[in-house]
Amino acid sequence: MLFNSLTFVVFLVIVLALYYSKILSWTSKKGMLLLASYLFYGLWNPPLVILLWISTMVDWTAGKKLAAEESQRKRKFWLLLSLFVNLGFLAFFKYRDFLLDNFTSAVNAYGYGYEAQPMDIILPMGISFYTFQTMSYTIDIYKRKIEPAHTFLDFALYVTFFPQLVAGPIVRAQDLITQFYEEKRANFNQFAWGTFLLTIGLFQKIVLADILLADTSDQVFSSTAILHGVDAWTGTLAFSGQIFFDFAGYSTCAIGIALMLGIVLPDNFKYPYASIGFSDFWRRWHITLSSWLRDYIYIPLGGNQHGITRMYAALIITMLLGGLWHGAAWTFVIWGALHGLYLIVERLLRSKIHIKINAINGIFLALLTYIMVNFTWVFFRAREFATAKNMIISMLFINGEGEKIVETFDVIKVFLLISLLFMCHWVMRNTSMKEVSLKVNPWILGVFWAFMVFLIVISQGSGEQFIYFQF
Amino acid sequence: MKHKKSLSIAIALSILGITAWEIYWRSQGYFPDLDDDKYLWVKTRALVEDATEDDVVIVGSSRALFNIQLGQWEKLTGIQPIQLANAGATPLPVFHDIVENSSFKGTVVVGVTPPLFFSTTFEQAPPWSRASSRSEFYKNLTYAQRLNYSLSIPLQNSLAFVSNDDEAWIDDINLKALLKTIHLPPRTDKPQEPPFRRFQDIDINRNVRMKEEMVSDTAFANSIKTVWKTLLSGDIPPPDKEATIEYFLKDAEKFTSRGGKIILLRNPSDGFFKDLESKGLPRSEFWDELVTKANVPAYHYQDYKGLSAFKTIEWSHLSAKDADQFTENFVKILLEDGLITNLKNN
Repeated sequence: MLFNSLTFVVFLVIVLALYYSKILSWTSKKGMLLLASYLFYGLWNPPLVILLWISTMVDWTAGKKLAAEESQRKRKFWLLLSLFVNLGFLAFFKYRDFLLDNFTSAVNAYGYGYEAQPMDIILPMGISFYTFQTMSYTIDIYKRKIEPAHTFLDFALYVTFFPQLVAGPIVRAQDLITQFYEEKRANFNQFAWGTFLLTIGLFQKIVLADILLADTSDQVFSSTAILHGVDAWTGTLAFSGQIFFDFAGYSTCAIGIALMLGIVLPDNFKYPYASIGFSDFWRRWHITLSSWLRDYIYIPLGGNQHGITRMYAALIITMLLGGLWHGAAWTFVIWGALHGLYLIVERLLRSKIHIKINAINGIFLALLTYIMVNFTWVFFRAREFATAKNMIISMLFINGEGEKIVETFDVIKVFLLISLLFMCHWVMRNTSMKEVSLKVNPWILGVFWAFMVFLIVISQGSGEQFIYFQF
Repeated sequence: MKHKKSLSIAIALSILGITAWEIYWRSQGYFPDLDDDKYLWVKTRALVEDATEDDVVIVGSSRALFNIQLGQWEKLTGIQPIQLANAGATPLPVFHDIVENSSFKGTVVVGVTPPLFFSTTFEQAPPWSRASSRSEFYKNLTYAQRLNYSLSIPLQNSLAFVSNDDEAWIDDINLKALLKTIHLPPRTDKPQEPPFRRFQDIDINRNVRMKEEMVSDTAFANSIKTVWKTLLSGDIPPPDKEATIEYFLKDAEKFTSRGGKIILLRNPSDGFFKDLESKGLPRSEFWDELVTKANVPAYHYQDYKGLSAFKTIEWSHLSAKDADQFTENFVKILLEDGLITNLKNN
């Protein structure tokens, strides 16, 4: 089920009505949320709920055993079982074709003429999110950082909680399960703020990503021509806006919906396009994934505790895996590698050059960071290396005579919208929406809110899927 | 408390804004209606699963959509056909889908618009993909999408501003369509497309009727003629007669061997279209060859007085009134030839 659909509106109204009714106990309400979450997921493809059940059962059992078991050997076994099942799901459903294709190419390079049989298996929506979430649970219990969930219901709801099930935020057990132990109700102000977040999330997705930016990005990236520099930049900037509004929109909806239920989810985006440098970018973009990668890959690989060479190796491996997490293709690996490289170069520069950030050099550095990030988006969006190569050449204005395919209105629309996005991120980088909302006149907030609702309604989006569902 | 006040203001202003928007578009002549979109198509496609041997499925292009009036057909036979024709598309992928993915063995009326029927079997070509994408969508439809569409029907039937047709007409009034009406000096070499206005209405059964305005307003009809000329005056790939006929015959054989019946129908055309079709796809080389090879009942409008006595409004489609008569005449011919069931006689 998509947040940007009529079905979801009806679903949410029913869930809220049951949640705030006095006929259900807290345990029954949690049971209702769990069933609603399975319905939310199952209305897309019912059999794939079984994967959720398997993941839930395995990690619930592993968690209990890890907590109770004293033998290190047995504890390792339960951890490995959890990792094997979750990573096995990912390998089978997400990376199988990629691995098979690469194996075929490698074998055929030696002249064997091997042909792999395509299996055409569907990619379960949000599999990368819920497997990472449940793995963090067992790993944290293994490290004795957290206690297992009190009840199976609490754990199952943690795995399946519908607002963040298919595209995050990836929530840690200690941040979410503990909230299920006692009855939660949103007060009116929390509920109103949750509704505002849901509205702004839908506005970002439906109006900004789907209506204003998606077509231009698709048009440019589906072109096989060598494009004029302006067209290549228009397409890349459009995609940078589309992916942000699409994904941040989903996260904002998720946080808002959870808040309407009185449950707090962590922030996933903090105005990333105003980042000064790439470390800052990863502290602001998809925060729950980057902190997951930091805690479960970068630090176990040694982090910054074992010398510079190992730190750089850990950094690049983490970013390569981060790239691969987004999709089973070499273009995603390159995207991750570029970010890894940026982080390494930044650390090298930081050790040599010390700059005191002020408003003027800050905005310049933020703009430079954003421009560099845009080059990485080319690999993220392009389906083939040839497209990415052509785009990069055009963006560097190496082609004097590239083809113009984007119309004047679309160029102006994209540059205007992206400039506004950048300025907005710059102004907001050290504050939050909540803080600003409390400072502005309620009338201004109300009018802005109504304006967003109006544009959502007149957009009548065709219920486009969120980009991150495929990851 | 601040957010409570803002929420109240937002609710009040949203209701006001949306109401004003609805009133404005109604004052501009818009009224609540359904969109010819992939959701309506798959809802109709689902009917094939339960269809009996007496049922009739229509596949084809826009001429089959405009000219065959489902109500007239039902009035004469007691059976309402299942309308699966797609504008601007070849019927081949839809017929293929019915043959391969359903057990239907009733009657299929195949509308043959030569420039589309004989166009291509290349899956990425628009005449093919416009139809095949809908069959694919039917295969992959989720329960959530099904439910979503059911919920959208009352809204489409109540609000004039709800317009999200797959065709993306110039006079659609969703935000994307409204933005497209802003024209700035061009920076590409792409020729400017003439405005393509929606010139038909569709109902929940996918019965399409040409707007009355097309008959009374010559300028409107002429604007559609301009679109046809622009669409067909560029570099159009040559027809692929061999591949398209071969593709059709393979499916036709499979369908008839399980007891299904096929009826070919060539709808009327005039002026620019008639010239183009008779020069580029002459009857003797295309239609006649298809009919001979398929060896199924076939009806070319030129061979029947009851089918040729009409003047198309914009060279390609009949007015709603003429479509009623055309359907009546066509059904009577089919009944006389004993090709379709008449439940009214049983």
